[in-house]
Amino acid sequence: MNAELKLFALGTVGVTLVLAALLVTVYGAETGRVLQALAARTPLLLSGSPDFSRFEGGFAANIVISIWAMAIAAVAGTALGVGMISQSFLIRTPSVLVMNVLRNSPWLVVLYAMLYLLPFEIEAFGSVFSFSPMIKAIIGLALPVTANVAEVFRGGVEAVPTGQWESARSLGYRRLQILRRVVVPQAIQFMTPNLMTTYAMLFIGTSLVVVTGADDVLSVARTVIASDGAHYATAIYLYVLFLFFIFCFPIAILTRWLEQRVRVRQ
Amino acid sequence: MTDHQQSAPLIEMRDVHKSFGSTAVLKGVSLSVRDGGVVCIIGPSGSGKSTILRCINGLMTIDKGTIRVGSFAVETLKSDKQLVPLRHQVAMVFQQYNLFPHRTVLQNLTMAPVQVLGENPAAVRERALALLAKVRLTGKQHAYPGELSGGQQQRVAIARALAMQPKVILFDEVTAALDPEMVSEVLNVIRDLAREGMTCVLVTHEMRFAQEVADEVFFTDRGVIVEHGPPATIFQNPTDPRLKAFLDKVL
Repeated sequence: MNAELKLFALGTVGVTLVLAALLVTVYGAETGRVLQALAARTPLLLSGSPDFSRFEGGFAANIVISIWAMAIAAVAGTALGVGMISQSFLIRTPSVLVMNVLRNSPWLVVLYAMLYLLPFEIEAFGSVFSFSPMIKAIIGLALPVTANVAEVFRGGVEAVPTGQWESARSLGYRRLQILRRVVVPQAIQFMTPNLMTTYAMLFIGTSLVVVTGADDVLSVARTVIASDGAHYATAIYLYVLFLFFIFCFPIAILTRWLEQRVRVRQ
Repeated sequence: MTDHQQSAPLIEMRDVHKSFGSTAVLKGVSLSVRDGGVVCIIGPSGSGKSTILRCINGLMTIDKGTIRVGSFAVETLKSDKQLVPLRHQVAMVFQQYNLFPHRTVLQNLTMAPVQVLGENPAAVRERALALLAKVRLTGKQHAYPGELSGGQQQRVAIARALAMQPKVILFDEVTAALDPEMVSEVLNVIRDLAREGMTCVLVTHEMRFAQEVADEVFFTDRGVIVEHGPPATIFQNPTDPRLKAFLDKVL
């Protein structure tokens, strides 16, 4: 962990300094005033409310969207991954097809498609469900990530030696039981780093949800620029970049550490 | 011994054919094993020995012929679900041990009886501990397979097979991956089992061991059984020239 901690400290300080230097370069003597303006807008950018009273917008919305999208993609991607390694041609072929379609769809296109594919609301079981921009954003991001999770699942399962399947079968285990009891518990160590990378990618991708009209950090940033003036645009976008970096960088470091640990254990 | 030999065979393969793609691996194999019998299959590598074992417990489907194990017609069992009762009766031990590395020794033994056969966990645990004592691994129940030597792992694998309370155990070159000094500890366990009347089918390169424990030896070459008979005949008076050539090389 030590090497990774060093890298983490170095990266955090380094990137912060680079962004600060950019800020100074652009704003010169005005930097102090710009920083004050950024501080004043921080609650809005982080939580979508001017005083941290709610956490429904801004950067908090990006986090919420990423967590829900990842949770949905984890469940759906595992199911799709099981389908992709099925022995039955009738299950395997459509699964592989769906995975390839989803994986090769540009995220932004899927998000735009959500605007038109999902109705504003649907009536089911006697109650009305409405698709808020937030829900459209979650579903739109979960779809391509599902394909990534399915690929990670398949790769992890294939990394487990075939002798494990053979001995489990000879003990009377059936296919799904083997996956659940024998193969997946061993494959998780191979899957975890890849799943974390997928999540970091998804988190960066939440910056695209602005097109669905969700109240994410980028849409708040645009509102702030509209009200405070285009003069602050550079500073605000640098600030948003910094927020994304601070969230994703630790994930990347943790991923590296886990990968190293898996390699050592083998 | 004599009344064993009169009973109906426990395993009977007739004219079994198996190909992988265009490569024919088994070209009409017939053999039978009586209840309590110890059979060794010897032959050059690639002659189909391991395939014979994998066909007996349904790990591989066959193209032609019949395989009967007890009351099961193996070639008619298609799904894993149908094969469960067969696998309860026919256990297998592999060259590479294939223990479950994420589970302790004890859990390796108890998993399948509890999860597949639905037996009482406390009773299975009791039995598993007795089996570990039998393979001389008392005290290792909480170790993980990765912490054991090859010989110890293979003995755990034998105990795991026994935990299913099978009628037959198939041994697929179980000493081939072991360091020489660990071979005898594994063979001793198998010898004990054979003496206790467990039906055993061994694919092996340990000719002296085959000679000692087997009551029948089958010699395979290029997908057929070339010669079979009691070990004394096979090893001392072989008739087939291929068997003679093979024994010249390995003995």
